[in-house]
Amino acid sequence: MPENILIHLENIHKSYFLSNGIEVPILKGLDLTVNKGEFLVIMGESGGGKSTLLNILGCLHPLTSGSYHMKGENIGTVRDDYTLAFIRNKLIGFVFQQFNLLSKSTALKNVALPALYAGSPKHEREENAAKILKSLGLEDRIHHKPTELSGGQQQRVAIARSLVNDPEIILADEPTGALDTKSGKEVMKIFKDLNEKGKTIIMVTHEPAIATYGDRIIFLRDGQIIDQDYKLPKL
Amino acid sequence: MSFEMLRMAIEALLANKIRTLLSMLGIIIGVSTVIAVVGIGAGAQQDVADQYKNLSVTSIIVLESRGQSVTTASKISAEDVNTIMSNEQYIDTATAAVSGDMQVSYGRASNQFTIFGALPNQFEISNLNLVIGELYTEEDNDNRARVAVLGSTIVEELFDGDPESAIGETINVGAKTLEVIGTLEETGTTMGQFLSYDDSIYIPYSTAEKSILGTGTRIMLTVLADNLDVIDLAFEELGLILREAHNLKADKDDDFRLLNAGSIIGAAQSTASTMTILLTSVAAIVLLVSGVGIMNVMFVTVAERTKEIGVAKAIGGKQSDILMQFLLESIILSIIGGVIGIGVGQAILPLVEKFANMTVVASVLGVVIAFSFSVIVGIFFGFYPALKASRLDPVDALRSE
Ligand SMILES: Nc1ncnc2c1ncn2[C@@H]1O[C@H](COP(=O)(O)OP(=O)(O)OP(=O)(O)O)[C@@H](O)[C@H]1O
Ligand SMILES: [Mg+2]
Repeated sequence: MPENILIHLENIHKSYFLSNGIEVPILKGLDLTVNKGEFLVIMGESGGGKSTLLNILGCLHPLTSGSYHMKGENIGTVRDDYTLAFIRNKLIGFVFQQFNLLSKSTALKNVALPALYAGSPKHEREENAAKILKSLGLEDRIHHKPTELSGGQQQRVAIARSLVNDPEIILADEPTGALDTKSGKEVMKIFKDLNEKGKTIIMVTHEPAIATYGDRIIFLRDGQIIDQDYKLPKL
Repeated sequence: MSFEMLRMAIEALLANKIRTLLSMLGIIIGVSTVIAVVGIGAGAQQDVADQYKNLSVTSIIVLESRGQSVTTASKISAEDVNTIMSNEQYIDTATAAVSGDMQVSYGRASNQFTIFGALPNQFEISNLNLVIGELYTEEDNDNRARVAVLGSTIVEELFDGDPESAIGETINVGAKTLEVIGTLEETGTTMGQFLSYDDSIYIPYSTAEKSILGTGTRIMLTVLADNLDVIDLAFEELGLILREAHNLKADKDDDFRLLNAGSIIGAAQSTASTMTILLTSVAAIVLLVSGVGIMNVMFVTVAERTKEIGVAKAIGGKQSDILMQFLLESIILSIIGGVIGIGVGQAILPLVEKFANMTVVASVLGVVIAFSFSVIVGIFFGFYPALKASRLDPVDALRSE
């Protein structure tokens, strides 16, 4: 496998099983290669399986079948919690549409949390968290709680959290979905900037304007990638 | 586990103060009950110990066989004391006493009291000490002297509690008179169900036997073994000596009964400790129920924070981290509840003593039992909800609202 390939999915199937035992296939034989440093955008119909795919990439879901290689290593068959937690903690940073910050903790504590799980000492993780918050323009919001921040600020805190353990990959599921256009643009500038500094970014969106920030767009429909290099229709 | 996790657990508990307090309440009640109950139990043990303070554990008491009395067929007599002492191997001392209830009066005061005709060495054997005056001697006994030493209740009732005024006075016992030569310290104890030391008037054995006591007299020997180790040997030996002294043939039953003080005290103590165990079990059940309360609250907490658990997993929290997080909450809950419970328990004890008129003894054991039980309850009942939390599917958890 070439050096610059970061993620390689082959013939991925993912089904949900309803409580009555019925199998609901969601992803139906999906292949995907993501290069190091790429800014990949996932688009597609609602219910097409975009979030499901992202959750698989983030090791939050086990595969039903197929193979998942990251940096040449087969991680699709890993089931033990310790290793999965390590991958989610150190190699991947997750950004959600709804921010998902701990509402009772300050921005600083929120950002430092993944580092706490990584076992780094308090002063180190909080120093680092403060530095990242500062780099995202939140130096005077460090001790604010999420309820005391605007949506755009909350999303920046969430991005800071995804960065605290310096992962190689950022996974973002509609990160601008809950934001107004202006905040959305600010967030996208941050992603672009991070991508330029070498982070691989995989982002789900259904807004064409947001999708333009990516290097490449894949298009999902009915559990399959129908286009590996989708071109947005010209306005 | 780190300090940060502890801080987060405390914050989570503080975020829901009322719920936290309510779930602690069970632990508080359980722990304070354990403390109160163990205190009451220890008090009961203490009562037993006090009650038998004057009964040495090495003593063996010899009584008539049931249904016999001195006036009929009883063979026990003061003579036996001499026989025992000249044949013993494992016995330290022996004494004999006769007793009977008689009407006693002084001036206008009059009441029924126990007349206790004892050999002079009885005072030492039973740890009876003078307040004032003197004890009677062997010579008094030989001369059947008309002298009396009063127990504290007698002084209270006949001499208004003033021992000094009793000395040298003459009291009437039945138709006879006796001169008071000494009074005894209060003991607050009894010798089993046989007599209360404080309620007795002590007079020389021979005086009692020959001229004061009539029918219905009881006789009793008190024998001390050399030490606790040989008490069984002494017990056996005593039986043999008495059978021989009373010329009993091999096919005849004993004409006496032997009671081992150790077993009398032991029986009383085991009654007290049975009570303690019983009450403690009740308290333990209270604690157990409070544990179910904690479990309930933890399930609610986990359900409420499902999304948070999903996030924790997505950003790299291990199952063990999440388990620890929730377990810590229930442990803190039970530890704080336990500490408050200990405080409440200690505060209740003096109230029980005062209003229920019971002896209570605050014991370290009670605190240790109560506290460790509450921590165990916290761990035990917190574990299952925490385990469920740690095993949630991250995507399902994230999707929850
Ligand atoms: N736990 C589940 N059990 C059964 N079906 C599920 C479950 N989770 C998701 N699905 C189904 O899987 C399909 C894909 O869901 P997914 O969230 O991946 O879609 P999406 O492409 O992200 O859609 P959207 O753009 O609306 O976010 C949907 O039809 C959904 O109903
Ligand atoms: Mg989605």
